[in-house]
Amino acid sequence: MPATPQPEKDDAHQQLLDQMDIYYVKKAFRSPNWRPSQRRNKNIKQIVSEAQRREASVLATQNNSGASTPQPAASDGSATPQPNMAQAAQSLSTLVLERNLQKAANASHSPNVASGPGPAVTYTNIESAPSLYAAKKHYCDITGLPARYTDPKTKLRYHNQEIFGVVRTLPPGGPDQYLAARGANVVLK
Amino acid sequence: MTINAVTRIIEERSRPPVPADGAWPTPRVYPAPEFPFRGWQPPSPSGYMQSAGTPSESAIVIDSGASTLKVGWSFDKKPRFLIPPLLAKYKDRKYNKYCAFVGYDAYADATTRGQIRNAFESYTSVPVNWDVMEGILDYTFIKLGVDAEASVGRPIVMTEPVANLTYTRRMMNEVLFEAYGATSVTYGLDSLFSYRYNKGVSGLVVSSGHAATHVIPVIDRKPQLQSCARLNWGGSQAQEFLLKLLRLKFPNFPGKMYMEQMESYLKQFSYISTDFQADMSHYLDWAGLEAGNDIVIQYPFTEQVVVEKSAEEIARQEERKKESGRRLQEQAAKMRLEKLIKKEQELEYLQSLHQQYLNAPTKKEQRRILDDEEFKDEAALERAIRDLDRKIQKSRNKDLGNPADEETLEEQLNKFPLLDVPDDQLDEDGIKEKRHQRLMKSGVEARIRAKAEKERERARIAEEKRLDEEQRVNHPEDWIAGRRAQRNALLVKIKEQARAKADSSNRKGLASQQRMKTLANLASDGPKRKRRGGGDYDDDFGANDEDWGVYRTVATEPASDDEEPEEDAEAQLKDVEKELLEYDPTFTENDTFEAQNDWTKSLMHAFLRGALPGPGDSQREDHQLHLNVERIRVPEVIFQPSIAGVDQAGLVEIIEGIVMNRFNNASQQQALLKDVFLTGGNTLFTNFDERLNRELISTLPTEFGIKVRAASDPILDAWKGAAQWWSGSSSSERAAATVSRTEYFEKGSEYVKEHDLGNSVSPAYG
Repeated sequence: MPATPQPEKDDAHQQLLDQMDIYYVKKAFRSPNWRPSQRRNKNIKQIVSEAQRREASVLATQNNSGASTPQPAASDGSATPQPNMAQAAQSLSTLVLERNLQKAANASHSPNVASGPGPAVTYTNIESAPSLYAAKKHYCDITGLPARYTDPKTKLRYHNQEIFGVVRTLPPGGPDQYLAARGANVVLK
Repeated sequence: MTINAVTRIIEERSRPPVPADGAWPTPRVYPAPEFPFRGWQPPSPSGYMQSAGTPSESAIVIDSGASTLKVGWSFDKKPRFLIPPLLAKYKDRKYNKYCAFVGYDAYADATTRGQIRNAFESYTSVPVNWDVMEGILDYTFIKLGVDAEASVGRPIVMTEPVANLTYTRRMMNEVLFEAYGATSVTYGLDSLFSYRYNKGVSGLVVSSGHAATHVIPVIDRKPQLQSCARLNWGGSQAQEFLLKLLRLKFPNFPGKMYMEQMESYLKQFSYISTDFQADMSHYLDWAGLEAGNDIVIQYPFTEQVVVEKSAEEIARQEERKKESGRRLQEQAAKMRLEKLIKKEQELEYLQSLHQQYLNAPTKKEQRRILDDEEFKDEAALERAIRDLDRKIQKSRNKDLGNPADEETLEEQLNKFPLLDVPDDQLDEDGIKEKRHQRLMKSGVEARIRAKAEKERERARIAEEKRLDEEQRVNHPEDWIAGRRAQRNALLVKIKEQARAKADSSNRKGLASQQRMKTLANLASDGPKRKRRGGGDYDDDFGANDEDWGVYRTVATEPASDDEEPEEDAEAQLKDVEKELLEYDPTFTENDTFEAQNDWTKSLMHAFLRGALPGPGDSQREDHQLHLNVERIRVPEVIFQPSIAGVDQAGLVEIIEGIVMNRFNNASQQQALLKDVFLTGGNTLFTNFDERLNRELISTLPTEFGIKVRAASDPILDAWKGAAQWWSGSSSSERAAATVSRTEYFEKGSEYVKEHDLGNSVSPAYG
């Protein structure tokens, strides 16, 4: 039979696969009672938006943290009342929210003052801001070389006359792909 | 003032002369890398045995990076193994069983590769796929040789992303405590562990990993997380960008490119340019290409075998062709002969018929003979005989190869005698014959006229040539100017043709629209406008020969070959250039169209094919990738994110913003800038530290004494730092950072402790 060597090779590969396969390997260290929730896989967008919705609904209620509740013992006319931590501790997450709001409001007045801790660090707010400077240098979309010109028709940047010829002979849809690589394409929603 | 000299404003690309040994060095060709499959990895249970003596002191340290998970024991010097966070889990139809392959094992074959899923959300360092994460943790504990009932039974030290989402941490806690029964869990930031391992005290930690780049200021070992920043650019984005660029560069590339290859290209060939603007401008110059700027990567291919025919075979084929030609000729000759015989028989018959006719006794008998053969009268019969006779004569001459005794046209003119005879001297037949002769004569006259016309045309062209020659000799400047103008017109025409050709596929193009307009005009049969003064409308279509050209513009297919071919602009151009080369001293070989379009001058050629000559047409060259500008263009994005369309400030601007705006104390600013610390796999590019140092010095005030240093091992130092921290800390220090099992069940799955190497506590939302 001519096909005999093939199954043998297949066999060797299958044995390798069987050796590597961990599905049926005994995993004694796993807790037998562990039953994960079926819908625990969420992407970041979902997680963030769900958390923000929850936060919004908490803030909208009367259920504040109670930090601004006057302390009965210390209310003898001091100008700046200390936050009432005893009350606030009842609802810690709301307290954090309130603090963040306060900080954000302060920050908008004086962004350069770095005194004290800023708003709590979150995954979304540590993302760095867009550049304050206009992009100084432009680069050719086709070759990446410094580009002095922009084609008014396709909006592609190009290095010289020869590249311009290439830009103008791109197939339909081509310029858009180049723009997409630079994030400058028009996306219709 | 007239412009009579044209200076080049475009820099000339010219190849340096061929070296003395006569050949260019052939560039080194790298093979395309395969999938990173490592084969079967044996477990290493020795660490577990060792840890059994001190189960609460020996922690499992996991640096959970989005590129690779590094796993080992806290007493190890380096991680025991690195695996990519991948899981391929599927049901094998053939054996009817489930399979699960983790890490490099998932690259085993096409089936497993097709099922790969990543634990992390793509382009972030946040784990989102918990089934995959569990599979990976299963694998790590199996490979670590963990052998206990319903619990791993060891503390776990794990890294998490900067400003981790609460949900993510909760899920991880649930998995670690409830599925694996960890005795305690400590979370820390990989970059801070790495900084600690490299003995940093105060400084700016720049950590560029697989999914993102973070800048974290550290003052007196305390991370200032409220001032940290993330740039959404890391190794995975760079890989994707490179893949995008290569797909655009080689849109018809036959090989299959994938991200794992891009990773190895970036590792192997990419580097940070210390002066990007200058390097980029000259990257594709000949000097650069010869210095090895162009990297050739060969993908697998099968060369098409062209069977070389032997001379013998060609000769045999030729012979066969001739043979069949001969056979055809023979057949044709035979047919002709048969026809000739038939004709001769017919002639004989007609002659006998004529004889019969002459010998017939009565007019009636004569009539019958003619009617039987359907002749009108005797003259018709005689003419038939004459025609047949002439035909036979002609074909005989042809067979024998005798040149037909062609009469000249003038001679033929004299063969119409009846025309000179007045009508009244002729009978009815005579008049008929005369009419026939007149027709023939006008035909002959037309032919004479055409001949004369041709003669005149020839003379005109010769005269034109003579005048042109005269002009060239007497007024060379004018002549050259004329020729140059002609050349320019031809160049425009060639360009126009190329554009029309390119435009023909574009339905919205000018050419297509023009064509549709013409079609619509032709299709509408009503007159466009009434002529003033009434009368039949006639659009005169066809009066001018050029009118018929519309059919050529309407046709999408090129004109078929029975029409006269379009004059070839390129051939004409060649002729003009030949003349210019001969007579115009300022026109050199370098100025010709061909030389201008030579591949050594083409920037696109250098971009697409490096220094390889000519258009590649072999399968081998079709399957080659050329990496050149991409080598510095892709890593540059971290300094100029706008190159890849990332709408964030570049690394230098981020650092500047953090140091100058978030810290108003000069001593703090100085402390930060004195130790800019690079860690993470994406900082491994050659010259990263040098470039950052240079840019920071040029942007920030000089008195800071800026210093940039790289981690001793940007990839593994995070793990090493975590292991070192655990093994080098007192139990109280550990407890301050660690959530124990009891604390987890008491305080909930979101509970975490703030410490100097970890995240700060954040509210519930991301």
